[in-house]
Amino acid sequence: MSATVGSRGSTRIFLATGFGISLLAALALPAAPASAQKQGGSITVGLELDIPGFDPLKVGVFDTSAETAAAAIFDTMTTLNDKGEPVPKLALSWSHSDDFKTWTFKLRPGVKFQDGTPFNAQAVKENFDRQKDPANKCRCAFYIAYVHDVEAADDLTVVYHLNDPSVNQPALMSVQSSNNVVQSPTAWKTKGDDYNRNPVGTGPYVLKSWIAGDRMVLEKNPDYWDKDHVYLDRIVLKPLPDAQSRFASLQSGEVNIVWDDEADADNIEKAQKDSKLAVHTYEGSGASVYAFNTKVAPFDDVRVRQAMVMSIDRKKMSQALTNGLSRPASNPYGDGSWVKCKDDGALPFDLEKARALIKDYGKPVDFKMIVTATPRGRTVGQILQQFWKQAGANMEIEQIDQASVVPRAFMRQFQLTPWRIIDLADPDPQMYANFHTGSPVALANYSNPELDKLLEHARTTADIAARTEDYCAISRLVNHEAIWFWTFQNTYYAISSAKLKGLPKMYSGVIDVSRAWLE
Amino acid sequence: MFGFVGRRLVYLVPVLVAVSLLTFLIASLLPGDLAYVILGDQATPDKVAALRHDMGLDQPIWWRYASWLGHVLQGDFGRSFRTGQTVLQAVSERLPVSIELMLLAELTALAIGIPLAIACAVRSGSAFDRFVTGSAFGMLSVPAFLAAILLIYLFAVELRWLPATGYVPFGEDPVGNIRSFVLPALTLALGEWPVLMRVLRSDMIATLQEDYIAMARAKGLKPSRILLVHALKPSSLTLVTVTGINIGRLIGGTVIVESVFALPGIGRLLLGAIYTRDLIILQGVVLFVACGYVLMNFVVDMLYAVLDPRIRHGHA
Repeated sequence: MSATVGSRGSTRIFLATGFGISLLAALALPAAPASAQKQGGSITVGLELDIPGFDPLKVGVFDTSAETAAAAIFDTMTTLNDKGEPVPKLALSWSHSDDFKTWTFKLRPGVKFQDGTPFNAQAVKENFDRQKDPANKCRCAFYIAYVHDVEAADDLTVVYHLNDPSVNQPALMSVQSSNNVVQSPTAWKTKGDDYNRNPVGTGPYVLKSWIAGDRMVLEKNPDYWDKDHVYLDRIVLKPLPDAQSRFASLQSGEVNIVWDDEADADNIEKAQKDSKLAVHTYEGSGASVYAFNTKVAPFDDVRVRQAMVMSIDRKKMSQALTNGLSRPASNPYGDGSWVKCKDDGALPFDLEKARALIKDYGKPVDFKMIVTATPRGRTVGQILQQFWKQAGANMEIEQIDQASVVPRAFMRQFQLTPWRIIDLADPDPQMYANFHTGSPVALANYSNPELDKLLEHARTTADIAARTEDYCAISRLVNHEAIWFWTFQNTYYAISSAKLKGLPKMYSGVIDVSRAWLE
Repeated sequence: MFGFVGRRLVYLVPVLVAVSLLTFLIASLLPGDLAYVILGDQATPDKVAALRHDMGLDQPIWWRYASWLGHVLQGDFGRSFRTGQTVLQAVSERLPVSIELMLLAELTALAIGIPLAIACAVRSGSAFDRFVTGSAFGMLSVPAFLAAILLIYLFAVELRWLPATGYVPFGEDPVGNIRSFVLPALTLALGEWPVLMRVLRSDMIATLQEDYIAMARAKGLKPSRILLVHALKPSSLTLVTVTGINIGRLIGGTVIVESVFALPGIGRLLLGAIYTRDLIILQGVVLFVACGYVLMNFVVDMLYAVLDPRIRHGHA
């Protein structure tokens, strides 16, 4: 379904271009007892990027900064609990057909948009139709291509008719993407061009004011359907693009929580030692990944691909990149996924074996690797170049603009390209897209009936144990054939003052402060 | 006088046309087709072709430039494809922040530079003079992003006197507004005052050797009056030029400083437009900046006339 390119650092700019996928947020209902929480107060959140707006037709997809705001202004149909399971939000209950291609949701009654208009099945349908309508040319339409249509069966019943089966559909609808948040149809119709910066949802906070590039002020929605679990009176969101001054603002107390990432390892380590600060870490699913083009030499030979993978020392690489914060990945799912494999078939780091494989191949191994033209992309390229040199291969770095990575990958104009598997509640959308024969994102140009069969079985089976078996078999196959490889798992960071409580897991890397409180 | 102003105004036109054409060319030569940026991971060849056609990207560049220019002449600078904001809206939201930043930075630089220049000129060659000119060299070599972080750590994190980041509108809280500008303005000023100081110092040293200064001294005028009235004004011609040019240079500095201090100014808008390939915004902002720069030089020319009557009366 969705993938974006490059390392963490480059992903940021990538997303800033409004061009990656929506990294998706999720609201989690509070886990702690109600007595512990304190009402009132105001917090300031330091985000990374300027938020361009909220109208899907304008912005296409939300980046993580926009999703932090979306988590407060809007609601989604479902949300993920601490275990990663979908629980009710705007939808109260759901059921599915035997083939997982029809999903019926019963909606929460009595919910109103912030403009006073009622939330109902018709509103859900209108949100979907507007994004799906080819005339609107919404970039968001790509991610709902698998949904054929949405039907408003009665005022509080919505039926999703899917083109492809989706066994974990409610979990996928928890993410705070531009596809999933429900916006007020009346508001976008009456406000027109101005709607983008004057969004209206059903969420716990209402947009009060917004100075472009500076701050967005959100105030508690007094009519919210779940207002007893909303504590802060006011949330101020500020884009603070510079990592150093963002951290300094947290230290000086001007902001209460900031977004961060592994590239800023020094400050994360500093914050871990500071008793006034708290580091929030979410070990998500997915990974930074790379795809070989198996249709062109030298990667048309499995020995070369295996040799490349076996010469990567991920521990050393993690040290060099992030002081060892990056967690090595041995499969595409990661520790944050419910897919846990006894044997994922990962090839070990074994330089001797790698050299032997290349010798066995018998021809010189010379190739080009695409890296994004960012400091981070270059560093990763240089480290890999050194590893492969030791194994006897000669890699040439080809730096290209972020925006050009995706079309190059789509047109298969590469030998080795970076890609990304993002944190998502279910592996199916990305695994199917990345590895099924004929998919535009099946970058390796690799086709294997056994792999296709496993992918198809995994998306039409509800039983978790059976699906886990499928996905582990897929991992073994892909690792053994070495058509893609994974370097590091996705880890998401936020640093806050120790007084800020009630932060749920940062699903998909989104800071959701809509149920937070100050101690 | 009117002829003088009129001539200068006419020069503006070719400069602005050249600037806008260059921006247009450079922006078009940037790697990464806008259609790919917009389509992202659904950039299939047929969709790219369709979108390029819709946006007129398949037209020859001169035609696109002419069409853009035509709209601009009618006062339509276009809209951002990302936010739907018009260029005029986006620029007018951000411009006051940058103007305030540049003015405060330049005033701070002048406030540091002028007294030091006078003091050095009076005692030129002394230990004090050598120390100040030496430090000026040092300051000149500190890049803004480093100075910014050092100032933040000292004044915001350690001493907690000033905010590290953020912006407060003047209308909301005038004191908070000034506080939010102190560190950014100081950061820019640290790189600016040495230039102003050195220029004024050397002009001042030359002026102080003029006969009329000796005359004034002989008449027994107070040394402070000689320096501030008789010597400063004729010595400040180059200073005015440099100050004017520097304001143009400061626009470049604001890109970095506004990012570090999270000020919502024109520099951030420009940077964001480059990252997101928002060409319409990019071109609009560059055009405004160019206008500002050219107007600034125009004002400097006018000031010459005030400072030096020979220019005003046309026998320069």
